[in-house]
Amino acid sequence: MVKIIEVKESVFKNNDERADKLRDELKQSKTFLLNLMSSPGSGKTTTLLRTCEQLKDKLKIGIMEADIDSSVDAQTMSDAGVKTIQLHTGGMCHLDAEMTRQGIEELGTDDVDLAILENVGNLVCPAEFDTGAIKNVCILSICEGHDKPLKYPLIFETCDALIINKIDVAPYFNFDMDKVREYALMRNPDIKIFPISAITGEGVDTWCNWLEKEVKGFIC
Amino acid sequence: MHEVGVITSILHTVEDIMKDENLTTVETIVLDVGELSGVVPHFMEECFPAATYKTRFENTKLEMNVIPGNVRCDSCGEEFNAYACDLKCPKCGEDKKHTPLTGRELIIKEIRGN
Repeated sequence: MVKIIEVKESVFKNNDERADKLRDELKQSKTFLLNLMSSPGSGKTTTLLRTCEQLKDKLKIGIMEADIDSSVDAQTMSDAGVKTIQLHTGGMCHLDAEMTRQGIEELGTDDVDLAILENVGNLVCPAEFDTGAIKNVCILSICEGHDKPLKYPLIFETCDALIINKIDVAPYFNFDMDKVREYALMRNPDIKIFPISAITGEGVDTWCNWLEKEVKGFIC
Repeated sequence: MHEVGVITSILHTVEDIMKDENLTTVETIVLDVGELSGVVPHFMEECFPAATYKTRFENTKLEMNVIPGNVRCDSCGEEFNAYACDLKCPKCGEDKKHTPLTGRELIIKEIRGN
């Protein structure tokens, strides 16, 4: 006898529950988890290096570098003296809550106020899977064009902040800063927008001040 | 690749339901898949056998109801299918600002098993 069960539940229910559980654990261990997402080549690692430089005396930082393969990013961060672990997704294009929890376990939370997950470079899949992060941030670089919030709506809806990176090369591209603001705010009226150059350091202060305030508000 | 991750997530949720409902096998999983959900039904079908190979879901069938991706034009109020109209309002030509009405669903509608 076949039983028919009406489910009507989100495909992501199991992941969402695990993500909520991880958030509770992070609250108890007083560790702020930031999920950093972007397309490949937008400057995630360089932005992280700058961020760690600015905040290293104020917060204890740990980095989880997620990639399909290789450990070049983890090596770059370790060389800069930042506590870093490498996560391999084994071909998957995103991290889910369980993989993130395993990463947090490996990283340890005792001496980490701010854990940053550098998600797999991809504007689609990481936006669908709640990792358990306290805040989600997306980086969009000038070279990618100002129309991305129209083309990849979900990631801009799920992010609390948008970093617009590589503003130092803006004169060479037809990137319209007003339009990207308009399109991002259309997707998410609460999104905070930080134009920066991770190379020259322009705008990095404002971004780091926001992050520091968020972290301290959470762990205190 | 994206669809494999989505299927894995579905199977985790189905396993939870199997426990709650005391099911040992699942014959069919029925999904509602919106046209604006970011998931392509054709790729789901292609990936499902690979994602379930040598698992307890190897003989499970996947059925999908496709929910149309209808939007309302923010400029003129016209309601239309975003896919059929290639994301452009058929009345006023607006191609950027639309509000989704239906089609973002990605839901496990029912499972059949024993």
